[in-house]
Amino acid sequence: MNFIIRPCLEALANPATQLRSWLVVLFLCFHSSVTFAAERAIEIIDSMEALYQGTSSSAKMTMIVETPQYRRTMEMQSSSMGTENSFIRILSPRKDRGIATLKLDMEMWNYLPKINKVIKVPPSMMMGSWMGSDFTNDDLVKQTTLTDEYTLTLEETDELYTIILVPKTETVTVWGKIDYVVNKQYMVPVAQNFYDDNGELVRKLEFTDLKEYSGRMIPSRLEMIPMNREGHKTIIIYDDLQFDPPDVDESTFTLRNLRSRF
Amino acid sequence: MLLLKLAFRNIFRQRRRSLLTALSLGGGYILCVFSFSLSEGSYNSAISFFILDHTGHIQIHQDDYLLRPKIHKIIDDPQGLSELLDANDEIISHTLRVFAPAIAYSDTDNAPARVIGVALERERRTSTLAVKISAGVYIDDTLDAEGYYSAMIGAGIANSLNIGLDDELILISQGADGSIANDIYIVRAIVGDRTSPDRATVFLPLIAAQEFLSMVDSVHEISILLQDDGAARSVATSLQEQLPELSVAPWQVVESTFYQSMQTDKQGNVFFMGFIIFIVFIGVLNTVLMSVLERTREFGVLKAIGSRPFKIALMITCETSLLASLSLIAGLLVSVPFTAWFSAVGFELAEPMNIGGIVMSHMTGEMSLYVFATPLLLIIFFAIIISIPAGIRAARISPTEAMRSH
Repeated sequence: MNFIIRPCLEALANPATQLRSWLVVLFLCFHSSVTFAAERAIEIIDSMEALYQGTSSSAKMTMIVETPQYRRTMEMQSSSMGTENSFIRILSPRKDRGIATLKLDMEMWNYLPKINKVIKVPPSMMMGSWMGSDFTNDDLVKQTTLTDEYTLTLEETDELYTIILVPKTETVTVWGKIDYVVNKQYMVPVAQNFYDDNGELVRKLEFTDLKEYSGRMIPSRLEMIPMNREGHKTIIIYDDLQFDPPDVDESTFTLRNLRSRF
Repeated sequence: MLLLKLAFRNIFRQRRRSLLTALSLGGGYILCVFSFSLSEGSYNSAISFFILDHTGHIQIHQDDYLLRPKIHKIIDDPQGLSELLDANDEIISHTLRVFAPAIAYSDTDNAPARVIGVALERERRTSTLAVKISAGVYIDDTLDAEGYYSAMIGAGIANSLNIGLDDELILISQGADGSIANDIYIVRAIVGDRTSPDRATVFLPLIAAQEFLSMVDSVHEISILLQDDGAARSVATSLQEQLPELSVAPWQVVESTFYQSMQTDKQGNVFFMGFIIFIVFIGVLNTVLMSVLERTREFGVLKAIGSRPFKIALMITCETSLLASLSLIAGLLVSVPFTAWFSAVGFELAEPMNIGGIVMSHMTGEMSLYVFATPLLLIIFFAIIISIPAGIRAARISPTEAMRSH
């Protein structure tokens, strides 16, 4: 062993070599802290995205769409399994009752009971409005996986994490940047701010009214505000949220179930 | 009066030459009247076509719907407005409409469509929609035994979806409240043919379209048909004063692109006709100058006995104007009955034209003051213009030099 240790000790005794070694150590520390921050950011985003889903979940929601011309309220029942599968069915108003949306992995279908027709949502319509709200089909489908398609940078204060998501060069997206703000104490989202390529805020999603569902503290009110459409706003209120409910299984997320009369 | 008598006598001194000049002037006038009549007739046919097809003489909308149509720009109280319009003596009829883009489906195919909800009985009285039906019957607004409303579809939609009479038609659109509008209708009529402007249109009863688009008791457009074609602007102004919260537009504004092109074309036509008449008048100028040259001695004598140069120039102008007037009277005697026939009967087209389901078998002209007066004023104007150089020449004749000439 002497033939290995001796040269090392001699090298460390040399002041020039000492400086170089310290620089290497500093670089390794910095690199590992950056890597740790990025991993932490991914971890936070993944936990936020899974927050409302769990392994499986079932929710009763109220969606309020406000525009300068009208205000529309819809009650919905939603089910999800992981982040890949989700199913939403409108319960009221009467004329929309039974309209359903199924998301399977990266695909999405709408079912219109009045005409008994299933319509697949094409990729070109993913940024289109869902049911006239300020949420897009993509918001529901999450075709863009944030942690895969964006480069994440973590910033933090005493109370908040702010994760800045910048799309990777190969990512196809309309957003130039997304700020994801998370409450450190409860580890719940506070806000998502969406910017365009020019850095202008295009829309913001705010999470408020923390409530306990199945032992978890979760914001029960989501408010999407498009900045470029004055007077427009969509509010989602979680009336009930259950995790791992017995009636949600793989058969829930099928075209057969989508077509079933309600 | 003396000048007029002299001018009249002078015209008949060279009867053959005057007759030939009058023939060229009269013939020019008749051709001009025919050209204006044809142009006006063609434009009036086009105007009548789109006024009766869909535009009406006047349209009422909310805000700037005409320029930027949006589903939520609605007229809230169409029934109240209908009562007001029904009470107006200048209005023959009016109709209520709603519009929306949609996707039409059959069992196997889909196609983009334009949905128009119409107040069926009012529409029948206001537009030619009922005439354009090529198969089936004009629908009513009752539900059938299975609870479906009827629809009339353009031939293009029928062809794209491969459906016909009594087949189901599915429509999907976005409602005025942001909801997904979707419903099934039964096809009861095909409108026009595959080349018609309505080929991609689906006509629904107004109530069905209002339910489909979640537009309870509201419409996008009111189209009005007037007694008097020429009163569109004045009635629109009057209605606008009564309805300050809405936008009232005469057809000249609704079809502004067409109207502006028509005005430009008409101005071009007047300019072209003016140019033709000017060329005719170059020949007339030659005649007048010849007449002045032949009467050099006569003008010399007139000046020697004290006639003033202005009077002599005025006499030449009177002669030219009188000749032009006599030609115009003859031209009018020929062109009035011809134009009357042309506007009432017209020329039969070798191949009848089918424009959006409306068959046009005759080419007709227009009989109006504009048709007769415009070329008449052009001819009078040029007659005076060309008499000026000839008059100046006659007025400048020196009596001594004139006496020496032959």
